[in-house]
This record gives sequence, structure tokens and C-alpha cells, in this order.
Amino acid sequence: MNVVGESIPRLDAREKVSGRAQYIADLYRPGMLHGAILGSPHAHARIKSYDARAAKQLPGVVSVLTGADLKGGKFGPFIKDETVLAIGKVRYVGEPVCIVAAENERTARRAALMIEVEYEELPAVLTPAEAMAESAPHVHEENESYFRVHETSCGGNLAWSTSFSEGDVDRAWSECDLIVEGEFETQAQAHVAIEPCGALAEIDAAGRVTLWSANQSVFRVQANVCEALCLSMSKLRCMTPRVGGGFGNKMEMHVQAMTAALAIDSGRPVKLILTREEDFEIVRHRHPYRIRAKSGAKRDGTLVAREVNIIVDCGAYGDDSPGVMGFSLLMARGPYRIPNVRATGQLYYTNKIRFGAFRGFGNPQVSFATEIQIDEIAEKIGMDALDLRLKNATRKGDSWVGGGPVHSDGFASCLKAVRESAEWDRRSTLVASPGTRRSLGLACSSHISGLLSTGAIIRVLEDGTVVLNTGAVDIGQGSDTVLSQICADSLQIPIDRVIIGSPDTDSSPYNWGTTASRVTYMVGRAIVTAAAEVEKKLKAHAADIFECSPEDLTLRPGGKIGIVGIPDRELSFQDLSLRAHWAVGGPVMGSASLMYDQKTIDPKRTVAKGVPFPQIGVFSFSAIICDVEIDEATGKTTVREAWSACDVGKAINPGSVEGQIQGGFVQGLGFALCEEVVWEGAKIANPSLMDYKVPTTLDASPKIHALLVEDPEPDGPFGAKGIGEIPICAVAPAIVNGIAGACGCRLRQLPATPERVLFAMLGESHAS
Amino acid sequence: MSRPRLVELCVNGTQRAVRASSEQTLLEVLRDELHLTGPKRGCNQGVCGACTVLIDDQPVRSCLSLAVLTENRPITTVEGLARGKSLTALQQSIIDCGAVQCGFCTGGLLMVAHALLADNPHPTSDEVRAALSGNLCRCSGYVKIVEAVCRANEGSLP
Amino acid sequence: MDLFLPQTIEEAVGLLAQHEGARCISGGATLVAMMNAGLVEPSALISLRQIPGLAGISREPDGSVRIGAMTRHVDTATSKVFKDGQCVVPRAAVRIANRVVRNMGTMGGSISFADPAADYLAALTAAGAAIEIASPRGKRTLPVSGFVTDWYTTALASDEIVTSISVPAMPAGSIGHYEKLARVSGDFAIVSIAIIARFESDICSFLRVAVGGCGPAPLRLREAEVVLEGSRLNASLIGEAGRMLVAISDPVDDVRASGEYRRKVLPRLLAKALIQIQQTQHAEVA
Repeated sequence: MNVVGESIPRLDAREKVSGRAQYIADLYRPGMLHGAILGSPHAHARIKSYDARAAKQLPGVVSVLTGADLKGGKFGPFIKDETVLAIGKVRYVGEPVCIVAAENERTARRAALMIEVEYEELPAVLTPAEAMAESAPHVHEENESYFRVHETSCGGNLAWSTSFSEGDVDRAWSECDLIVEGEFETQAQAHVAIEPCGALAEIDAAGRVTLWSANQSVFRVQANVCEALCLSMSKLRCMTPRVGGGFGNKMEMHVQAMTAALAIDSGRPVKLILTREEDFEIVRHRHPYRIRAKSGAKRDGTLVAREVNIIVDCGAYGDDSPGVMGFSLLMARGPYRIPNVRATGQLYYTNKIRFGAFRGFGNPQVSFATEIQIDEIAEKIGMDALDLRLKNATRKGDSWVGGGPVHSDGFASCLKAVRESAEWDRRSTLVASPGTRRSLGLACSSHISGLLSTGAIIRVLEDGTVVLNTGAVDIGQGSDTVLSQICADSLQIPIDRVIIGSPDTDSSPYNWGTTASRVTYMVGRAIVTAAAEVEKKLKAHAADIFECSPEDLTLRPGGKIGIVGIPDRELSFQDLSLRAHWAVGGPVMGSASLMYDQKTIDPKRTVAKGVPFPQIGVFSFSAIICDVEIDEATGKTTVREAWSACDVGKAINPGSVEGQIQGGFVQGLGFALCEEVVWEGAKIANPSLMDYKVPTTLDASPKIHALLVEDPEPDGPFGAKGIGEIPICAVAPAIVNGIAGACGCRLRQLPATPERVLFAMLGESHAS
Repeated sequence: MSRPRLVELCVNGTQRAVRASSEQTLLEVLRDELHLTGPKRGCNQGVCGACTVLIDDQPVRSCLSLAVLTENRPITTVEGLARGKSLTALQQSIIDCGAVQCGFCTGGLLMVAHALLADNPHPTSDEVRAALSGNLCRCSGYVKIVEAVCRANEGSLP
Repeated sequence: MDLFLPQTIEEAVGLLAQHEGARCISGGATLVAMMNAGLVEPSALISLRQIPGLAGISREPDGSVRIGAMTRHVDTATSKVFKDGQCVVPRAAVRIANRVVRNMGTMGGSISFADPAADYLAALTAAGAAIEIASPRGKRTLPVSGFVTDWYTTALASDEIVTSISVPAMPAGSIGHYEKLARVSGDFAIVSIAIIARFESDICSFLRVAVGGCGPAPLRLREAEVVLEGSRLNASLIGEAGRMLVAISDPVDDVRASGEYRRKVLPRLLAKALIQIQQTQHAEVA
């Protein structure tokens, strides 16, 4: 009956294949209005005046709000620098300036366009290079006075600065027989969850707002909306419908506060769903990065030193940027025993859309640079690229940068798994069809699961079934099912006797969010602890009834407590729960409250400044090999087949783990080869699926082998840790290393479009 | 928006009279008037495929179809695939193969796969990929979806 | 917005002439997408779907193939009516977007929009097709070479519609080939090349080449075809033909690629396509 380790079907699969799953756009409330947004046409401008008279008079329009109508509470996960609507000035093209609620969506959109806003244009900064110039205009005049959650240095357009240093990098270069240096550039990537962002807010007679939204955390929605609208949290209840993917786009605020403001103003429910174009233009994207990396090694392949500096484009508002930048720096050493490391980063405000959380959280960008350098070193010393990685591999008992403990030998196992499955050692026998070049490419990464806090409550109903309340939002990755599996096996009950409640700030314990690959690991741990408390209480009841000691009792499969060694002396959960409800003690509940508490930085080992996460998480590892093929005529690259090994501790639901690995791979394939948000001046040039392309069935590799490595994480639930992000982190360098193997050209810029590959192959520089 | 008129739509085997104006797409009318929210608005440009329905048993984009021009032509949405409580073999295969993650693309791709299997009950994986190239999925990487469609009719004779 | 469903061509063009700001809707794939995006707001729509005889593919006694303007891409792509080099047309049709969009879009609608990166016009240009047009003034025929006059602009007057497209017969044994380079499957072309060719022994005895995605209208240069016709293919001749085509090209920089890349890849794609055709013909003979 055990379900942990089984690929049981998703609990929500049936409703999704029947078309009955309700996402935010599928919710309707009586008397509901529709919201629309008027965005700024300018990248940087002062707002001089608003004239909403014509808009207000359009039949069907109920509310029109400008920045001047709202309290202007400042929010932001690291820097409190953002308001719901622009106040006083606009900082990027598309920034929401006014909002409208009307009887239907067409009317609301038409009315929004009728609002006249007068602007005084200001010079804009569109790149970090422009932003860091002496005389650059300031995106945020009050930058230095903003509240920041952690200490850092800032000023002008510098929003945050972080550095890590351990060992002695400056001296270490002289120990190296070989040093490689390079500059790398990665592009802005759009999440393109198939569901655009949206929210529905309703205010009740007592003035309390209920808000549903496409989200990755009902608690972040609550905190953000309350900060933004200056509301007490008691005034806002946040709930979640089914969510159509997030990948980081829905972790922090999008339209929730705007929707709530319209509901409060109009007194009626308001639904606001973004168009795909708006989703591209006003929410967030993956940060573009410029990375300078330097790595040094000895002739025998021992890695000695690594130095990385990154310049990160923040966009107009901080959002998760400090976290992303800091995390990249923490990951910049890679899964290797490099004793001398220095990683520094500077984050600059620009007059573009905010950049924020996106699967990988800065790791895909920095791994692009560092994993290419590992291959460069291997090539220069004539060592096999896999053997070089294995030689330097982080092992169980090692420390991460900063001193955090590594509990797993999973990295070596991942390398071994891909080596065998992809027949790495026979790669020179690969045959390229006429007109193509072909090679295997390898890259690796680490990642974390953890961060911040969570809780779980398990309640036993009268009939012995169990309700599991957590704040974990299932955004499609399958957490509802996995958490139910953990709960079921922790209590030894069939999974159909576990009900997982939908996250609701009124009734779920806090969970920071579905992010940082943390739900299985953090919420799973809380569930295991809460289940132990339930078990203890049930045993106390049974001990009373049997007149024995709780130590004589054991949990039996099927929801029973019995006396050890006496098979027919047992009581069902129902028996015990009925007693609790009606006779003795009160309803049986177990709860747990948990903070990830392993410190990221040991100050005796590492000098760190501007660290945005004092306690980060447990480490996971991955290795990816791609069979890369290049069309010689055009430079177009395809990945015929891929092998992706991930160290997951324990696969609670192997099918779901495979799905994450395969999905992450294809999203990484897009990052590597064809996806790029492009600006024409200050405006996004391709804010539509016509012009921003993600891989289709015919572009994705037909064979993506997900190789699960299970080296139990000591305190993970059943040994499990996370999988959400690591599958994307090493994809781009694996492909680009494959391109180098196939045609001898080492690209240092993403995406590796046919254009970039062809010009590299021809040895010609070109404009783009 | 121009004045709506009464339009006779034949949806999932039932004749329904709805009010629609000439600009409204079938997607809007199915969702907002008939409360069939299975077809989704993912892009409104015909690219993502989440809005796909069958008209005359052929997959089309409901976001690119004007409702008034679909009058009296048999329309099937994902809600109309299953017969009462029993899912089709395809729907069951999608569940069993772990091919649903967030589910937002699922309805649209089921319509295309359903039409494919009606013509070709035992397709090769290449045939499935070609048929589904107009349905974007951002979660799954497509591998399990293709497997599920290939295996849908495994239990029945070729 | 008024929606009309004329029953005849005469009625349709009459309505077009009568209503300023009216648009014809054929498959709707492009027009409704533009309406959804707020890019067009027609005052009236004239649906062509009920006009008999506007859809369908038929072979004429002289071997030419007539394709009704309302013929859907799926029907063009799967039609068995095309012969020899005429097959360049279905080969282009099957590369349009994806199956679902091909169930909706039509040839008339597609070519009237004249997207420089769409697929039909290059194939029709290689084939030397003729476009039949109706208006309140009667009918006229235009060679495809005169159809596109500027970026996204055709020679159609505001009260004219395409009624059919005629693809002339091609030499027996000729092959139609459509090569499309795009970022992902189903995207518009970065560069596309439509070729009709016949090889006898190793000599190229017949060649028509048109290039899409490198200017407002497909490129076709008889002088470039002549370089290769009558000869054995070799890299130098193909390169020369490619250079001549590049010289008349006018590609833009856009999100799909730069003009520089398009000029660089055009001759390479031409070579790739010609070699593939030659190999196919060898295989067929063998």
C-alpha cells in the first residue's frame, strides 16, 4: 500500500483532462466586473496630470483609478521600491498607470485607452552600462532611502551589491598552470506559462477582501497586496484556483493589488486577466546577465581558483533581483572542490520591465559561463571533460561556498549515470549525417532546496480520514499529489483517505511559496513531523483503551494502531478519532512549524557582503549530456537526444520527477537556442507568441532520458529533496559545449541562434 | 461592440442559443456565455493551441473563429469528449502516463489528439509530434504527452 | 460591426465597394488574430464562406491546376491533383504554421495579406502562377510577379478580391521542393526557397527558383536560373546564382534574424536544396 516511490497518477489529473479544472480566468462571481490597465508609453517620465472624465462617462464603466487615488504603499521582496500604480513618474514602457473596472472586458479596455495622461519625458537608461555612468539619470531618486531586507551597498542606479570570497584568489592564480578567462552574455527569457497572469477580488459587507489569483504563494500575495494598499492582513484573504504554470512569474505580485483596489473602490467583484502581450510587457522576465569568469587549474586537472563578476540588469524595480544575483554568486563555483573563490555582483536599475524569479534563479546564467570554462580547461590540458569534472567533484562531507554542508555523493553518481547512458566514452564514433556536424556536449550544476519557513497541519476527521493543510500551491509541478503521498505513508493510510486542502491564508499554515525547489523538502518535512504528532496522539488514545504503554503500540497499514506482537489487538483511526471527538481529549491534530536554519555563510571561512539569504538550503546536483547536431548550411542546432541525471534524494513520485526533468530540459533548450526577449529602444519588440518562440513538439528532443539518482538527504521527507529547478540549470552549457565539440566554435552568448552559430563557424564577426 | 443577436450553436451534441455580437470569437462565447471554460485563452492569436476545439470533427482555433460563423456546425469542446462519467481511452492514457502537469494546455491538445486517433488509432511517435506541433506545453517537455497518445489505443486491436 | 454573408462573388465585391473600412474574411486565421490584438477594427466583415466554387482544387485540360481562393491549407497540402514541379505548392502549404491553423487558413487570405515571410508566394512565384481577381468592374488576371507591390501590400484595389490561383503545368519529371528555415517549427520563415527543377542524367534541364523572406515580394531572377540550367551543378555555379539573388535581395533586420544573416544563408540554403533535389531524383530513378 505504500505510495512513496510510486508514480501514482496526479490527484488533479482527472479534472484537468475533463476540462473541469478551474483556473483564475474560469472563475465567475455574481455582479462581477472586468478590469483593464492603462500602461505608460514612456520608459521614463514624470506624470503631470490625468484626465479620466471621458473614460468615467463611458457606459458600463464603474471605477477608474490612478496612482493619485491609491495610498502608495511600497512593496518588494528585498527592496521596498514599488507601488501598485506609478506615482509621480513612470519607469518602464507598459508600467501600469491607471486601472479601470467595467461591465465587460472590451469596455474596460476601451475605457482605459480613453484616459488621458500628460507626461514630461525624462532621459532613460536602457542598459546597466548606461545606468552605471557618472551622469546617468536616476531611475529611483530615493534609491538609498528605500527599506532593504538585508544590508548592502547601493546608490545612484546601483540597487544592490553582493560578494563572496574564500581562500585567496589573488595568490592562487600563481599556482595555476593554466588560466582561462572569458566574457559571457545571456538574454532575457520569458516564462511563457501557458496561463497568463490574472486575479479576481471581491469585497464583503464587512469590508474584507477575498482574492483569488494565479499565484505561487497565497502568503506572498497577501503580504504584497497588504503592503501595497496599506491594509492589515486581517482584511485580506487569499486563495488559489488551479494554476497554469508559473516558473517564477507568479511568485511575486502581478495584478493582484490592482484587482483588489478596483474591488474595494467599486464594491463589486472584479476580475482582471492579462492578455499574452501584457504578460510579456508588464510582469517580469529572467535577468539578462553579463558575466566575466576566470578559472584556473593545474596541469593534472585540479581546479584551483575561480573568479566571477556579474553585472545584472535589474529592470525598473527590485523584485527578486537581489536574491537572483546573490544566488548566482553562491553557485558560481559550481559543484567542484575549488578552494579559492571570489564572486562579485552588481545590480543596476534600468528603465525596463522588472526582471525576477525564473526557474533556476540566476543559476542557469552563471552556469552557462562556468561550465563552458570547465570544458575549455579540459580541452587545453587534453583531459576528458567528464573526467575533469569527476576529479574535482564535490562529495558528501564537503562544504559549499560559505561552508554549508553537502550531504550527498549524488554528483559523482549523476556523472556516472550520464556517462553510461549516453555512451560518453564512445562519442568519437558518433556519425553525423551529410551536411551536419554532431557531438555530445556535457555540463553540470548544483542547486538548492530550502529557504525560509513553512508549516503543516494534519487533522483526523471523525471517520479516520485525514485533512492535510499546508500553504503549498500546486502550480502544476504535482505537489498536491506528492505531499499527499508523504502524508499517507507517514500515517500508513491509503492515499484516498488523505484530503489536501487548497491553500488559503485563512486556514493554511504559512508557506513562503512554491519556489526555490522547496515544497517537497520543506513542506514534506513539516508533514512528516505533523504526522508523528498525530501518531503520538492516536497512540495515547489507544494506550488508554488498551491500558498499555504507548511504547507497546505500533502504526499498522490501513490506518490502525495495534499492540506490537498481538495482531488482533488493534483499533482503527476511526475508533480513536470518534473517542477523541466525542469522549476524551478533543479532535486529534498534529502540526509543525519549520524554518530552514542552516547558515549559508560561516564568517570564519568566507567573507560575504550583501548576502540576500542568510540560510539557504540543502544541495542537489545534476549532469546533462546532449547529442547536438548542427546544420552546416544554416547553423541551426538541434538536440537529437538528451540524458539528464538529477540527484533527488528520493523520488516520492518518480513519474512527476521525470516530468520536471523533461520539462525543465525543454525550457532550457529554448533558453539555449531560440528564446529571447528583444528590445527595440525602450520597447519590447516581440511581446507575443508570434514573435517570441518556445519549442514545439518538433523542436524538443524526442528522447529526453530522465535519470534519477537517489542518495537520501538526511533530513528530507523519506530522504527527498527538490527537483523543480535543477533540470534547467546546465542545459544551455551542455548544448553550447556540444556545439563546440561539433564545429570547434565556443559561443559565449545566448541564445545560440542559427545566425550566431553560422557566423562562428565561418569565423566571421558580424553586427548582431 | 455591435448589437448581439441570437446565434444557434451546436455544442457537445446540444443545440444552444446564445447572444453573440459579430466581433466575438467562439472562444469568448463558449466561455462567457455557455460557461464551457475547458477551452482556454492562452494567447488569443492562434499560436498556443489552448483554445482548440473541434468543428465538424476537425481541430480549429476557437480564438480565431467568429462565433456567428460557426452557427449550426457541430462543435466539440474538451468537456464533450467523455461520455458521462467515463473518460475516453485517450484521456485515461494521458492520466496514466503522467502527461498532465499544470493542465492548461491539456484541453486543447486532447482535441487534436482525439482527431488524430479517430483517423489513425495507432500512430507512431513522429506522427503524434507532427499532429501536436501546434499545441504548446511549457511544463512537460512533450515526452509523456507523445507517449500517452501513442499508447491510448494499446488495449484495442490495431 | 456588420457581418455579411454574400452568396455570389458579384455580391461580395459589391459590398466591398459599398462599405468603406470593410474587410473580407476567408479563413479568419490572420484577420481575427489582428482583430483580437486590436490592430484592425473593420467597420464591416464580408465572409466569403458561402460563395460556391471559391474552394476546391481542379486540374484544367492544359495541365494547369486551379486553386480556389477559399481552399484551406490542409486541402492544398494533401491534394493529389498537383503534378511534377507543381508539387512545390503543396510542399509549401504543409509548412504553414501547424495542422490546426492549416484547417482554417486559406490561400486567398494568405496571399492577400502578403506577409513577406509567409510560404505560398515563393512557391507560386517559382511556378509562375497567375492570380484571378474579381471586382465590380469584372475579372482580371495578374501574374504573381506583379501581385505584391510593397511590404505587406498587393496590387488589389480596395474593392477587389482574389477568386482563384492558377498554377501552370510543369515539365514531366520535374520536382517541386520547398526549403524553409525558421527558428522553430511552424514559425514564419527567416528565409525560404521554392524550387522547381528537373535533372536529366546529372544535367539540370529546368530550373525555377524563388526566395521568400528577403524582401517585400519573393525574389526571382531568370538570369540566376540560366546560370544553372543546362549545366551540371557545382559549387561555383550555385554560388554565382546565389550571389545574383543576394544582389537583388532587400532583407530586413527583425526578431527572427538580421538582414546580414539572411544574405549569408540564402546561397547556402539554395545549395542545400539543389543537392537534396538531385539526390531525390537519383533515388527515384534508382
